[in-house]
Amino acid sequence: MIITTSKTLLLNPLIQLKTPLTVKFRPKIASISARLDNSQQQLNLSVLRFTLGIPGLNESYLPRWIGYGFGSLLVLNHLLGSDSVTAAQLRTEALGISLAAFSVILPYLGKFLKGATRMDQMTLPEGAEQIFVMSQNVSVAQKENLAWATYVLLRNTNTTAVLILMRGELCIRGYWNVPDGVLKDNILDWFKNNIEETGLCDLTDTLYFPQTADADFWKILPQGTRSVLVQPVLLDPNLSTNIEGFVLLASGMKYAYSEKDRAWIRAVSNKLRNAAET
Amino acid sequence: MEAGRILHIGMPWTPGCPHPLPPPLPKFPRFIRASSIQRESYKGPKPSRGWIADWVSKNDDAVRSLPIYVGGASLLAVLFNRAVSGIAPVADASSSQSRADLLTLGLAVTNILTGLVWLSIRPKSITPVDPQGVECQVIYCHLPESVVSEIFWAWESLSAVTCCRSLVIVYNCQCIAQIGVAAKLRNDEPFAVDAAKLMQGSLCQGVLKSGAQSYLANLSLYPGRSELPFLPSNTQAVILQPLGDSSIAILGGDTIRGFTTSDQAWITYVGEKLDATLSKYLSNMPSVVQE
Repeated sequence: MIITTSKTLLLNPLIQLKTPLTVKFRPKIASISARLDNSQQQLNLSVLRFTLGIPGLNESYLPRWIGYGFGSLLVLNHLLGSDSVTAAQLRTEALGISLAAFSVILPYLGKFLKGATRMDQMTLPEGAEQIFVMSQNVSVAQKENLAWATYVLLRNTNTTAVLILMRGELCIRGYWNVPDGVLKDNILDWFKNNIEETGLCDLTDTLYFPQTADADFWKILPQGTRSVLVQPVLLDPNLSTNIEGFVLLASGMKYAYSEKDRAWIRAVSNKLRNAAET
Repeated sequence: MEAGRILHIGMPWTPGCPHPLPPPLPKFPRFIRASSIQRESYKGPKPSRGWIADWVSKNDDAVRSLPIYVGGASLLAVLFNRAVSGIAPVADASSSQSRADLLTLGLAVTNILTGLVWLSIRPKSITPVDPQGVECQVIYCHLPESVVSEIFWAWESLSAVTCCRSLVIVYNCQCIAQIGVAAKLRNDEPFAVDAAKLMQGSLCQGVLKSGAQSYLANLSLYPGRSELPFLPSNTQAVILQPLGDSSIAILGGDTIRGFTTSDQAWITYVGEKLDATLSKYLSNMPSVVQE
Protein backbone atom coordinates (compact mmCIF):
# COMPACT_ATOMS: atom_id res chain seq x y z
CA MET A 1 0.00 0.00 0.00
CA ILE A 2 1.27 3.39 -0.83
CA ILE A 3 0.97 5.92 1.93
CA THR A 4 1.13 9.46 0.64
CA THR A 5 -0.67 12.54 1.69
CA SER A 6 -2.85 13.54 -1.17
CA LYS A 7 -3.49 17.06 -0.06
CA THR A 8 -2.94 19.62 -2.74
CA LEU A 9 -1.67 22.84 -1.35
CA LEU A 10 -2.35 25.94 -3.32
CA LEU A 11 0.66 28.10 -3.76
CA ASN A 12 -0.46 31.56 -2.89
CA PRO A 13 2.49 33.87 -2.47
CA LEU A 14 1.71 37.20 -0.95
CA ILE A 15 3.88 38.99 -3.45
CA GLN A 16 3.06 38.52 -7.08
CA LEU A 17 6.04 38.39 -9.33
CA LYS A 18 6.50 41.74 -10.96
CA THR A 19 5.33 41.39 -14.54
CA PRO A 20 6.25 44.05 -17.03
CA LEU A 21 3.35 45.92 -18.60
CA THR A 22 1.92 44.10 -21.59
CA VAL A 23 0.96 46.32 -24.47
CA LYS A 24 -1.53 44.86 -26.87
CA PHE A 25 -1.38 45.00 -30.62
CA ARG A 26 1.35 47.57 -31.03
CA PRO A 27 4.76 47.94 -29.50
CA LYS A 28 5.31 51.31 -27.91
CA ILE A 29 8.75 52.37 -26.92
CA ALA A 30 7.72 54.51 -23.97
CA SER A 31 10.92 55.71 -22.49
CA ILE A 32 14.50 54.68 -22.30
CA SER A 33 16.14 56.25 -19.32
CA ALA A 34 19.61 55.67 -17.97
CA ARG A 35 19.99 55.24 -14.25
CA LEU A 36 23.20 55.13 -12.30
CA ASP A 37 23.38 52.24 -9.91
CA ASN A 38 25.88 51.56 -7.14
CA SER A 39 28.44 49.81 -9.18
CA GLN A 40 27.21 49.82 -12.77
CA GLN A 41 25.07 51.82 -15.12
CA GLN A 42 21.74 50.17 -15.72
CA LEU A 43 19.51 50.89 -18.63
CA ASN A 44 15.88 50.92 -17.66
CA LEU A 45 14.07 49.83 -20.77
CA SER A 46 10.51 50.08 -19.63
CA VAL A 47 7.45 48.54 -21.16
CA LEU A 48 8.81 46.60 -24.04
CA ARG A 49 6.74 43.44 -23.88
CA PHE A 50 4.70 42.86 -26.97
CA THR A 51 1.81 40.46 -26.91
CA LEU A 52 -1.11 39.77 -29.18
CA GLY A 53 -3.14 38.59 -26.26
CA ILE A 54 -3.97 35.21 -27.78
CA PRO A 55 -3.61 32.47 -25.19
CA GLY A 56 -1.40 29.60 -26.19
CA LEU A 57 0.47 31.66 -28.77
CA ASN A 58 4.16 31.87 -28.00
CA GLU A 59 5.30 35.37 -28.91
CA SER A 60 8.93 34.52 -28.55
CA TYR A 61 8.63 32.72 -31.88
CA LEU A 62 7.38 35.86 -33.59
CA PRO A 63 10.74 36.76 -35.20
CA ARG A 64 10.80 33.32 -36.75
CA TRP A 65 7.40 33.71 -38.38
CA ILE A 66 8.21 37.22 -39.53
CA GLY A 67 11.47 35.93 -40.93
CA TYR A 68 9.72 33.22 -42.92
CA GLY A 69 6.93 35.53 -44.05
CA PHE A 70 9.02 38.47 -45.14
CA GLY A 71 11.65 36.20 -46.62
CA SER A 72 9.11 34.52 -48.86
CA LEU A 73 7.63 37.88 -49.78
CA LEU A 74 11.08 39.06 -50.82
CA VAL A 75 11.53 36.05 -53.06
CA LEU A 76 8.06 36.58 -54.51
CA ASN A 77 8.84 40.21 -55.13
CA HIS A 78 12.00 39.26 -56.94
CA LEU A 79 10.28 36.74 -59.17
CA LEU A 80 7.31 38.93 -60.02
CA GLY A 81 9.39 42.05 -60.39
CA SER A 82 9.89 43.98 -63.56
CA ASP A 83 12.24 42.63 -66.25
CA SER A 84 15.36 44.46 -65.25
CA VAL A 85 16.54 43.81 -61.76
CA THR A 86 18.98 46.49 -60.77
CA ALA A 87 22.09 45.90 -58.75
CA ALA A 88 20.71 48.02 -55.95
CA GLN A 89 17.68 45.78 -55.68
CA LEU A 90 19.83 42.71 -55.62
CA ARG A 91 21.85 44.16 -52.78
CA THR A 92 18.73 44.95 -50.83
CA GLU A 93 17.34 41.51 -51.41
CA ALA A 94 20.53 39.81 -50.37
CA LEU A 95 20.50 41.85 -47.17
CA GLY A 96 16.83 41.06 -46.65
CA ILE A 97 17.29 37.32 -47.08
CA SER A 98 20.19 37.19 -44.64
CA LEU A 99 18.19 39.22 -42.12
CA ALA A 100 15.30 36.81 -42.55
CA ALA A 101 17.60 33.86 -41.90
CA PHE A 102 18.97 35.58 -38.82
CA SER A 103 15.45 36.28 -37.53
CA VAL A 104 14.57 32.64 -37.99
CA ILE A 105 17.35 31.47 -35.70
CA LEU A 106 16.76 34.18 -33.09
CA PRO A 107 14.22 32.21 -31.02
CA TYR A 108 16.64 29.28 -30.92
CA LEU A 109 19.36 31.52 -29.48
CA GLY A 110 16.91 33.11 -27.11
CA LYS A 111 16.19 29.77 -25.51
CA PHE A 112 19.65 29.63 -23.96
CA LEU A 113 19.62 33.07 -22.40
CA LYS A 114 19.27 33.40 -18.66
CA GLY A 115 15.72 33.94 -17.59
CA ALA A 116 14.20 32.36 -20.65
CA THR A 117 11.04 30.46 -19.81
CA ARG A 118 10.50 27.14 -21.41
CA MET A 119 7.25 27.03 -23.28
CA ASP A 120 7.73 23.68 -24.96
CA GLN A 121 4.86 21.32 -24.85
CA MET A 122 5.48 17.99 -23.31
CA THR A 123 4.33 15.03 -25.31
CA LEU A 124 3.33 11.85 -23.61
CA PRO A 125 4.96 8.81 -25.14
CA GLU A 126 2.71 6.96 -27.54
CA GLY A 127 1.56 3.52 -26.69
CA ALA A 128 2.75 3.91 -23.13
CA GLU A 129 0.76 2.93 -20.13
CA GLN A 130 0.97 4.36 -16.69
CA ILE A 131 2.47 1.90 -14.25
CA PHE A 132 3.55 1.95 -10.65
CA VAL A 133 5.44 -1.05 -9.40
CA MET A 134 7.74 -1.56 -6.49
CA SER A 135 9.84 -4.46 -5.23
CA GLN A 136 8.39 -6.27 -2.30
CA ASN A 137 11.56 -6.71 -0.26
CA VAL A 138 11.57 -3.14 0.90
CA SER A 139 10.92 -1.84 4.40
CA VAL A 140 7.77 0.14 5.02
CA ALA A 141 9.68 3.33 5.63
CA GLN A 142 11.63 2.92 2.43
CA LYS A 143 8.41 2.17 0.54
CA GLU A 144 6.96 5.45 1.72
CA ASN A 145 10.08 7.29 0.74
CA LEU A 146 10.12 5.73 -2.71
CA ALA A 147 6.45 6.47 -3.25
CA TRP A 148 6.87 10.05 -2.14
CA ALA A 149 10.05 10.56 -4.16
CA THR A 150 8.53 9.23 -7.37
CA TYR A 151 5.36 11.24 -6.82
CA VAL A 152 7.24 14.46 -6.25
CA LEU A 153 9.58 13.94 -9.18
CA LEU A 154 6.69 13.30 -11.53
CA ARG A 155 4.66 16.22 -10.23
CA ASN A 156 7.31 18.86 -9.91
CA THR A 157 9.64 18.33 -12.84
CA ASN A 158 9.05 17.76 -16.54
CA THR A 159 9.30 14.03 -16.05
CA THR A 160 7.07 11.44 -17.67
CA ALA A 161 8.76 8.34 -16.33
CA VAL A 162 10.90 7.63 -13.29
CA LEU A 163 12.86 4.55 -12.30
CA ILE A 164 14.67 4.10 -9.00
CA LEU A 165 17.09 1.30 -8.26
CA MET A 166 18.28 1.15 -4.66
CA ARG A 167 20.37 -1.76 -3.44
CA GLY A 168 18.90 -4.03 -6.06
CA GLU A 169 15.29 -3.10 -5.39
CA LEU A 170 13.27 -1.32 -8.05
CA CYS A 171 10.55 1.29 -8.04
CA ILE A 172 9.05 2.31 -11.36
CA ARG A 173 6.38 4.90 -11.95
CA GLY A 174 5.02 6.89 -14.85
CA TYR A 175 4.49 6.22 -18.53
CA TRP A 176 6.54 3.27 -19.72
CA ASN A 177 6.48 1.15 -22.87
CA VAL A 178 6.30 -2.37 -21.52
CA PRO A 179 6.33 -4.95 -24.31
CA ASP A 180 3.05 -6.78 -24.74
CA GLY A 181 4.41 -10.18 -23.89
CA VAL A 182 5.36 -9.23 -20.37
CA LEU A 183 2.79 -9.93 -17.70
CA LYS A 184 2.13 -7.71 -14.75
CA ASP A 185 4.07 -9.95 -12.37
CA ASN A 186 7.13 -10.09 -14.55
CA ILE A 187 7.49 -6.37 -15.16
CA LEU A 188 10.11 -6.02 -12.44
CA ASP A 189 12.19 -8.88 -13.80
CA TRP A 190 12.02 -7.49 -17.30
CA PHE A 191 13.28 -4.13 -16.09
CA LYS A 192 16.00 -5.69 -13.98
CA ASN A 193 17.37 -7.68 -16.90
CA ASN A 194 17.43 -4.67 -19.17
CA ILE A 195 19.03 -2.42 -16.62
CA GLU A 196 21.99 -4.75 -16.28
CA GLU A 197 22.70 -4.26 -19.96
CA THR A 198 22.89 -0.52 -19.69
CA GLY A 199 25.64 -0.61 -17.12
CA LEU A 200 24.03 2.16 -15.11
CA CYS A 201 24.69 0.34 -11.87
CA ASP A 202 28.29 1.52 -11.92
CA LEU A 203 27.53 5.17 -12.45
CA THR A 204 29.24 7.61 -10.12
CA ASP A 205 28.49 10.99 -11.70
CA THR A 206 25.26 12.53 -12.81
CA LEU A 207 24.45 11.87 -16.45
CA TYR A 208 22.32 14.34 -18.31
CA PHE A 209 21.31 13.91 -21.93
CA PRO A 210 19.32 16.99 -22.90
CA GLN A 211 18.65 15.87 -26.44
CA THR A 212 18.62 12.11 -26.77
CA ALA A 213 17.56 11.10 -30.23
CA ASP A 214 15.25 8.22 -29.47
CA ALA A 215 14.51 5.34 -27.24
CA ASP A 216 16.68 2.84 -29.05
CA PHE A 217 19.45 4.26 -27.00
CA TRP A 218 18.42 2.30 -23.94
CA LYS A 219 15.76 -0.25 -24.61
CA ILE A 220 13.81 0.40 -21.49
CA LEU A 221 13.08 4.07 -22.14
CA PRO A 222 9.61 4.89 -23.42
CA GLN A 223 9.11 6.10 -26.99
CA GLY A 224 9.43 9.81 -27.52
CA THR A 225 11.92 10.37 -24.73
CA ARG A 226 13.91 13.52 -25.36
CA SER A 227 15.87 14.13 -22.17
CA VAL A 228 17.26 11.66 -19.71
CA LEU A 229 18.79 12.36 -16.34
CA VAL A 230 20.46 9.69 -14.24
CA GLN A 231 21.38 10.63 -10.70
CA PRO A 232 23.48 8.11 -8.78
CA VAL A 233 22.86 7.69 -5.08
CA LEU A 234 26.14 7.43 -3.21
CA LEU A 235 26.48 6.62 0.43
CA ASP A 236 29.29 9.13 0.78
CA PRO A 237 29.26 11.83 -1.90
CA ASN A 238 32.97 12.50 -1.52
CA LEU A 239 34.03 8.97 -2.35
CA SER A 240 33.09 7.19 -5.51
CA THR A 241 32.64 3.87 -3.78
CA ASN A 242 29.52 2.55 -2.14
CA ILE A 243 27.13 3.18 -4.97
CA GLU A 244 23.71 2.55 -3.54
CA GLY A 245 21.75 2.87 -6.73
CA PHE A 246 20.44 5.49 -9.09
CA VAL A 247 17.42 7.52 -10.01
CA LEU A 248 16.56 7.66 -13.71
CA LEU A 249 14.24 10.34 -15.06
CA ALA A 250 12.95 10.43 -18.61
CA SER A 251 11.11 13.36 -20.12
CA GLY A 252 9.31 14.08 -23.37
CA MET A 253 10.88 17.54 -23.64
CA LYS A 254 14.34 18.60 -24.71
CA TYR A 255 16.40 20.47 -22.11
CA ALA A 256 13.87 19.40 -19.54
CA TYR A 257 16.00 19.84 -16.42
CA SER A 258 17.46 23.17 -15.45
CA GLU A 259 20.28 23.62 -12.95
CA LYS A 260 17.78 24.15 -10.18
CA ASP A 261 15.80 21.06 -11.15
CA ARG A 262 18.95 18.99 -11.03
CA ALA A 263 19.87 20.35 -7.63
CA TRP A 264 16.48 19.41 -6.25
CA ILE A 265 16.66 15.97 -7.83
CA ARG A 266 19.99 15.48 -6.08
CA ALA A 267 18.35 16.47 -2.81
CA VAL A 268 15.49 14.01 -3.31
CA SER A 269 17.91 11.20 -4.10
CA ASN A 270 19.80 12.03 -0.90
CA LYS A 271 16.60 11.38 0.97
CA LEU A 272 16.58 7.85 -0.38
CA ARG A 273 20.15 7.42 0.75
CA ASN A 274 19.34 8.58 4.24
CA ALA A 275 16.35 6.34 4.51
CA ALA A 276 18.34 3.33 3.49
CA GLU A 277 20.63 3.85 6.45
CA THR A 278 17.91 3.71 9.09
CA MET B 1 34.51 -3.00 -3.78
CA GLU B 2 33.16 -6.01 -5.59
CA ALA B 3 36.07 -7.04 -7.70
CA GLY B 4 34.26 -9.75 -9.54
CA ARG B 5 31.54 -7.61 -11.02
CA ILE B 6 31.14 -8.17 -14.73
CA LEU B 7 29.28 -5.82 -16.96
CA HIS B 8 26.64 -7.66 -18.90
CA ILE B 9 26.21 -6.27 -22.36
CA GLY B 10 23.62 -8.00 -24.48
CA MET B 11 25.36 -7.39 -27.74
CA PRO B 12 27.81 -9.70 -29.51
CA TRP B 13 31.47 -8.83 -29.32
CA THR B 14 34.51 -10.55 -30.74
CA PRO B 15 36.64 -12.31 -28.13
CA GLY B 16 39.78 -10.62 -29.39
CA CYS B 17 38.42 -7.14 -28.73
CA PRO B 18 40.10 -5.62 -25.66
CA HIS B 19 37.24 -3.31 -24.66
CA PRO B 20 33.71 -4.65 -24.96
CA LEU B 21 32.21 -1.34 -26.00
CA PRO B 22 28.70 -1.33 -27.42
CA PRO B 23 28.64 -0.64 -31.17
CA PRO B 24 27.81 2.98 -32.08
CA LEU B 25 24.17 3.52 -32.92
CA PRO B 26 23.38 5.09 -36.31
CA LYS B 27 21.55 8.26 -35.30
CA PHE B 28 23.30 8.89 -32.04
CA PRO B 29 25.15 12.20 -31.58
CA ARG B 30 28.87 12.10 -30.95
CA PHE B 31 29.85 11.52 -27.35
CA ILE B 32 32.90 12.01 -25.23
CA ARG B 33 34.80 9.14 -23.66
CA ALA B 34 36.34 9.69 -20.27
CA SER B 35 40.08 9.71 -20.65
CA SER B 36 40.81 7.70 -17.53
CA ILE B 37 38.70 4.59 -17.35
CA GLN B 38 38.59 3.08 -13.89
CA ARG B 39 38.05 -0.52 -13.25
CA GLU B 40 34.37 -0.32 -12.45
CA SER B 41 33.30 2.90 -14.09
CA TYR B 42 30.22 3.30 -16.20
CA LYS B 43 30.97 2.41 -19.80
CA GLY B 44 27.94 3.60 -21.66
CA PRO B 45 27.34 6.62 -23.84
CA LYS B 46 28.07 10.01 -22.39
CA PRO B 47 26.28 13.21 -23.38
CA SER B 48 27.81 15.52 -25.99
CA ARG B 49 28.40 19.19 -25.35
CA GLY B 50 26.05 21.61 -27.11
CA TRP B 51 28.49 24.34 -28.13
CA ILE B 52 25.89 26.87 -29.14
CA ALA B 53 24.19 26.57 -25.78
CA ASP B 54 27.51 26.99 -23.98
CA TRP B 55 28.54 29.96 -26.10
CA VAL B 56 25.24 31.75 -25.58
CA SER B 57 25.29 31.13 -21.85
CA LYS B 58 28.82 32.48 -21.55
CA ASN B 59 28.26 35.63 -23.60
CA ASP B 60 24.83 36.40 -22.28
CA ASP B 61 25.09 40.20 -22.45
CA ALA B 62 26.63 40.29 -25.89
CA VAL B 63 24.02 37.97 -27.34
CA ARG B 64 21.23 40.06 -25.90
CA SER B 65 22.36 43.17 -27.72
CA LEU B 66 23.36 41.35 -30.90
CA PRO B 67 19.97 41.68 -32.68
CA ILE B 68 19.97 45.41 -32.02
CA TYR B 69 23.30 45.89 -33.73
CA VAL B 70 22.34 43.64 -36.61
CA GLY B 71 19.01 45.39 -37.09
CA GLY B 72 20.48 48.85 -36.76
CA ALA B 73 23.28 48.13 -39.20
CA SER B 74 20.85 46.71 -41.77
CA LEU B 75 18.59 49.75 -41.38
CA LEU B 76 21.47 52.06 -42.15
CA ALA B 77 22.63 49.83 -44.98
CA VAL B 78 19.22 49.96 -46.67
CA LEU B 79 19.03 53.72 -46.47
CA PHE B 80 22.59 54.07 -47.66
CA ASN B 81 21.97 51.73 -50.55
CA ARG B 82 18.92 53.70 -51.54
CA ALA B 83 20.79 56.98 -51.39
CA VAL B 84 23.82 55.71 -53.25
CA SER B 85 21.77 54.20 -56.05
CA GLY B 86 20.25 57.56 -56.73
CA ILE B 87 16.68 56.50 -56.16
CA ALA B 88 14.31 59.23 -55.12
CA PRO B 89 13.49 59.02 -51.42
CA VAL B 90 9.83 58.24 -51.89
CA ALA B 91 8.23 55.92 -49.43
CA ASP B 92 5.79 54.08 -51.65
CA ALA B 93 5.47 50.52 -52.78
CA SER B 94 5.28 51.23 -56.48
CA SER B 95 8.54 49.79 -57.67
CA SER B 96 9.88 46.42 -56.73
CA GLN B 97 12.96 48.11 -55.34
CA SER B 98 10.84 50.01 -52.86
CA ARG B 99 8.97 46.90 -51.91
CA ALA B 100 12.17 45.01 -51.27
CA ASP B 101 13.44 47.93 -49.21
CA LEU B 102 10.30 48.03 -47.12
CA LEU B 103 10.44 44.33 -46.41
CA THR B 104 14.06 44.57 -45.38
CA LEU B 105 13.29 47.54 -43.16
CA GLY B 106 10.52 45.54 -41.55
CA LEU B 107 12.93 42.73 -40.77
CA ALA B 108 15.50 45.14 -39.36
CA VAL B 109 12.90 46.68 -37.06
CA THR B 110 11.84 43.23 -35.88
CA ASN B 111 15.40 42.44 -34.96
CA ILE B 112 15.84 45.68 -33.08
CA LEU B 113 12.66 45.09 -31.10
CA THR B 114 13.65 41.54 -30.28
CA GLY B 115 16.98 42.78 -29.00
CA LEU B 116 15.24 45.36 -26.82
CA VAL B 117 12.88 42.72 -25.46
CA TRP B 118 15.81 40.48 -24.61
CA LEU B 119 17.52 43.34 -22.81
CA SER B 120 14.40 44.14 -20.85
CA ILE B 121 13.91 40.59 -19.61
CA ARG B 122 17.43 40.25 -18.32
CA PRO B 123 17.11 39.01 -14.77
CA LYS B 124 18.44 41.46 -12.24
CA SER B 125 21.17 39.93 -10.16
CA ILE B 126 20.60 40.62 -6.50
CA THR B 127 23.44 40.07 -4.13
CA PRO B 128 22.72 37.90 -1.11
CA VAL B 129 23.05 39.47 2.32
CA ASP B 130 24.95 37.54 4.93
CA PRO B 131 22.61 37.00 7.86
CA GLN B 132 23.87 38.41 11.15
CA GLY B 133 23.50 35.99 13.94
CA VAL B 134 24.86 32.88 15.46
CA GLU B 135 24.86 29.41 13.95
CA CYS B 136 22.80 26.93 15.84
CA GLN B 137 21.48 23.47 15.40
CA VAL B 138 18.97 22.72 18.09
CA ILE B 139 16.45 19.96 18.20
CA TYR B 140 14.32 20.58 21.22
CA CYS B 141 12.38 17.48 22.08
CA HIS B 142 13.39 13.88 22.35
CA LEU B 143 12.65 12.84 18.81
CA PRO B 144 13.13 9.43 17.25
CA GLU B 145 16.20 8.95 15.08
CA SER B 146 14.28 8.76 11.82
CA VAL B 147 12.54 12.07 12.42
CA VAL B 148 15.81 13.77 13.29
CA SER B 149 17.48 12.46 10.15
CA GLU B 150 14.54 13.61 8.08
CA ILE B 151 14.71 17.09 9.55
CA PHE B 152 18.42 17.22 8.86
CA TRP B 153 17.86 16.01 5.32
CA ALA B 154 15.30 18.78 4.80
CA TRP B 155 17.72 21.35 6.18
CA GLU B 156 20.61 20.16 4.01
CA SER B 157 18.49 20.16 0.87
CA LEU B 158 17.04 23.59 1.54
CA SER B 159 20.33 25.21 2.43
CA ALA B 160 22.13 23.62 -0.53
CA VAL B 161 19.57 24.33 -3.22
CA THR B 162 17.74 27.48 -2.15
CA CYS B 163 18.83 30.65 -0.44
CA CYS B 164 17.48 29.40 2.89
CA ARG B 165 19.77 30.18 5.83
CA SER B 166 17.48 29.55 8.81
CA LEU B 167 14.89 26.90 9.47
CA VAL B 168 12.46 26.74 12.36
CA ILE B 169 9.86 24.01 12.78
CA VAL B 170 7.03 24.50 15.23
CA TYR B 171 4.83 21.47 15.77
CA ASN B 172 1.69 21.57 17.87
CA CYS B 173 2.70 24.82 19.53
CA GLN B 174 6.13 23.51 20.45
CA CYS B 175 9.32 24.41 18.67
CA ILE B 176 10.99 21.18 17.72
CA ALA B 177 13.82 22.42 15.51
CA GLN B 178 15.85 25.56 15.03
CA ILE B 179 18.67 25.14 12.53
CA GLY B 180 20.90 27.59 10.71
CA VAL B 181 21.53 31.20 11.63
CA ALA B 182 19.51 32.60 14.48
CA ALA B 183 19.34 36.05 15.99
CA LYS B 184 21.92 36.64 18.64
CA LEU B 185 21.25 37.48 22.24
CA ARG B 186 23.72 39.52 24.21
CA ASN B 187 25.64 36.56 25.49
CA ASP B 188 26.06 35.03 22.04
CA GLU B 189 23.27 32.57 22.64
CA PRO B 190 20.72 31.94 19.90
CA PHE B 191 17.36 33.57 20.36
CA ALA B 192 14.99 30.85 21.44
CA VAL B 193 11.63 30.56 19.76
CA ASP B 194 8.59 31.38 21.84
CA ALA B 195 6.26 28.96 20.11
CA ALA B 196 3.06 29.95 21.87
CA LYS B 197 3.50 33.62 21.11
CA LEU B 198 4.49 32.84 17.54
CA MET B 199 1.40 30.77 16.88
CA GLN B 200 -0.84 33.50 18.27
CA GLY B 201 0.64 36.09 15.99
CA SER B 202 -1.17 37.26 12.88
CA LEU B 203 1.37 35.82 10.46
CA CYS B 204 0.96 32.23 11.57
CA GLN B 205 -2.74 32.54 12.17
CA GLY B 206 -3.23 33.76 8.64
CA VAL B 207 -1.14 30.96 7.20
CA LEU B 208 -2.89 28.24 9.17
CA LYS B 209 -6.28 29.60 8.33
CA SER B 210 -5.64 29.66 4.60
CA GLY B 211 -3.66 26.41 4.68
CA ALA B 212 -1.44 27.80 1.92
CA GLN B 213 2.21 28.72 1.83
CA SER B 214 3.02 32.36 2.48
CA TYR B 215 6.00 34.00 0.84
CA LEU B 216 7.28 37.29 2.18
CA ALA B 217 9.68 38.12 -0.59
CA ASN B 218 11.08 41.30 0.90
CA LEU B 219 10.85 41.05 4.64
CA SER B 220 11.75 44.67 5.35
CA LEU B 221 8.43 45.77 3.85
CA TYR B 222 6.31 43.79 6.27
CA PRO B 223 5.24 44.97 9.73
CA GLY B 224 4.79 41.33 10.68
CA ARG B 225 8.57 41.23 10.90
CA SER B 226 8.33 41.83 14.61
CA GLU B 227 6.67 38.47 15.09
CA LEU B 228 9.81 36.66 13.99
CA PRO B 229 12.47 37.95 16.40
CA PHE B 230 14.39 34.70 16.36
CA LEU B 231 15.42 35.17 12.74
CA PRO B 232 18.52 37.29 12.03
CA SER B 233 17.64 40.95 11.81
CA ASN B 234 18.75 41.21 8.18
CA THR B 235 16.86 38.21 6.86
CA GLN B 236 15.72 39.18 3.38
CA ALA B 237 12.93 36.74 2.55
CA VAL B 238 10.77 34.37 4.55
CA ILE B 239 8.58 31.46 3.62
CA LEU B 240 5.95 30.24 6.06
CA GLN B 241 4.94 26.71 5.19
CA PRO B 242 2.06 25.14 7.07
CA LEU B 243 2.53 21.49 8.04
CA GLY B 244 -0.91 20.09 8.45
CA ASP B 245 -3.46 22.02 10.49
CA SER B 246 -1.52 23.20 13.45
CA SER B 247 2.14 23.28 12.62
CA ILE B 248 4.38 25.53 10.68
CA ALA B 249 7.86 25.62 9.20
CA ILE B 250 9.60 28.97 8.81
CA LEU B 251 12.44 29.42 6.32
CA GLY B 252 14.60 32.51 6.28
CA GLY B 253 16.50 33.42 3.12
CA ASP B 254 19.41 35.75 2.44
CA THR B 255 18.25 37.24 -0.87
CA ILE B 256 15.26 39.43 -1.69
CA ARG B 257 12.86 37.37 -3.80
CA GLY B 258 15.39 34.60 -3.46
CA PHE B 259 12.92 31.72 -3.51
CA THR B 260 11.79 31.00 -7.05
CA THR B 261 8.39 29.56 -7.94
CA SER B 262 9.91 26.15 -8.41
CA ASP B 263 11.53 26.45 -4.97
CA GLN B 264 8.15 27.27 -3.52
CA ALA B 265 6.60 24.20 -5.10
CA TRP B 266 9.39 21.96 -3.82
CA ILE B 267 9.15 23.45 -0.34
CA THR B 268 5.46 22.62 -0.32
CA TYR B 269 6.17 19.00 -1.07
CA VAL B 270 8.99 18.78 1.45
CA GLY B 271 6.60 20.26 3.98
CA GLU B 272 4.02 17.60 3.23
CA LYS B 273 6.64 14.91 3.73
CA LEU B 274 7.76 16.39 7.03
CA ASP B 275 4.15 16.64 8.13
CA ALA B 276 3.50 13.00 7.29
CA THR B 277 6.58 11.88 9.22
CA LEU B 278 5.98 14.12 12.18
CA SER B 279 2.33 13.25 12.56
CA LYS B 280 3.13 9.57 12.47
CA TYR B 281 5.75 9.70 15.18
CA LEU B 282 4.59 12.56 17.30
CA SER B 283 0.86 11.96 17.58
CA ASN B 284 1.28 11.32 21.26
CA MET B 285 4.06 13.74 22.06
CA PRO B 286 4.76 14.34 25.74
CA SER B 287 4.35 17.83 27.11
CA VAL B 288 7.16 20.32 26.70
CA VAL B 289 10.58 18.89 27.45
CA GLN B 290 13.15 21.64 27.01
CA GLU B 291 16.77 20.75 26.43
